[in-house]
Amino acid sequence: MFVYEKRLQYPVRIKNTNPKLASLIISQYGGPDGELGASLRYLSQRFSMPYPELKGLLTDIGTEELGHLEMIGTIVHQLTRDLTEEQIKSAGFDAYFVDRTAGVYPTAASGFPYSAASMACKGDLIADLTEDLAAEQKARVTYDNILRLSDDPDVNDVIKFLRQREVVHFQRFGEGLRLAKDRMGEKNIYFINPSFDH
Amino acid sequence: MENTNPNACGAMEGSLPGKCANLAFPYIPMQNPNAERYDQAQALAAGTLFPGLNLPFFKAVKSKMNCANTALCELMAIGFAINELGLYLDTHQNDKEALALYTDYVNLAEEGRKRYEAAYGPLQQSNVTAAGYTWLNDPWPWDFAEGGKQ
Repeated sequence: MFVYEKRLQYPVRIKNTNPKLASLIISQYGGPDGELGASLRYLSQRFSMPYPELKGLLTDIGTEELGHLEMIGTIVHQLTRDLTEEQIKSAGFDAYFVDRTAGVYPTAASGFPYSAASMACKGDLIADLTEDLAAEQKARVTYDNILRLSDDPDVNDVIKFLRQREVVHFQRFGEGLRLAKDRMGEKNIYFINPSFDH
Repeated sequence: MENTNPNACGAMEGSLPGKCANLAFPYIPMQNPNAERYDQAQALAAGTLFPGLNLPFFKAVKSKMNCANTALCELMAIGFAINELGLYLDTHQNDKEALALYTDYVNLAEEGRKRYEAAYGPLQQSNVTAAGYTWLNDPWPWDFAEGGKQ
């Protein structure tokens, strides 16, 4: 089960509204490599993991990603507070505003709503952990791109933190993959799927 | 140990710096035990407890964490250290030194939570304080009193 803790993982304190930037950062809320997809990917993949260290790793990283989802939602909310009429009409935000006002909706920056088609759960530990390595890199690149597009230091401070977490998660998933391989201990690690064949 | 002989590794193996490894399998080295660590506040600011894993993007070098010396920031720092070391332990469950440190962090966090809750109210709904049912009190985590407009 999950218990909510009434705090963020990392402080988000954005002084200036910037709806256009919000309409880009929303991609890490509900976009193809966003935090919603990340948490669903890991928290779903864990059910078919055969080894305890992988069950734990996916549970713990998946839970952290839910905290990151909350941080991204917080950034979008703070960037769209107390908007002026001028800001609502500003290029890049009016299309979002007409559908969602200043609500935080899981969508890609391109306007495509969150789709589970952007994540995978294959039921095979090698396939799933290799997917997770790629997923962490894709999220890292999205944060790189946000840093290229944003000049707000309050925002960049948080994005920098989230980006670094992707690097650490990549390392841990790689270690998880190695531990799994050692357990499989076969000359041919593709001989069976230990998540399914017993 | 550098392997210069292409035939030194077996038929299903290729060479890595220093040793052989299976073909057709991704290779990511295990982080060594006793890796250098930041203190909690530095770790939160860096986004990792381990300097060796701190690999920032070139454009991000100028930003600075906006967290003063408050009970909340202390709790975030110790909470992050626990989170980060927990992930490390998931893949290094036999590292006794890391486990001892993890236990120290958890005890520190317990004190930090009490300090925070005394000053600002409950972290979890069920932690009812002397002030009554204050779970609903603002601010919520996404609220930030300063700012708005530009």
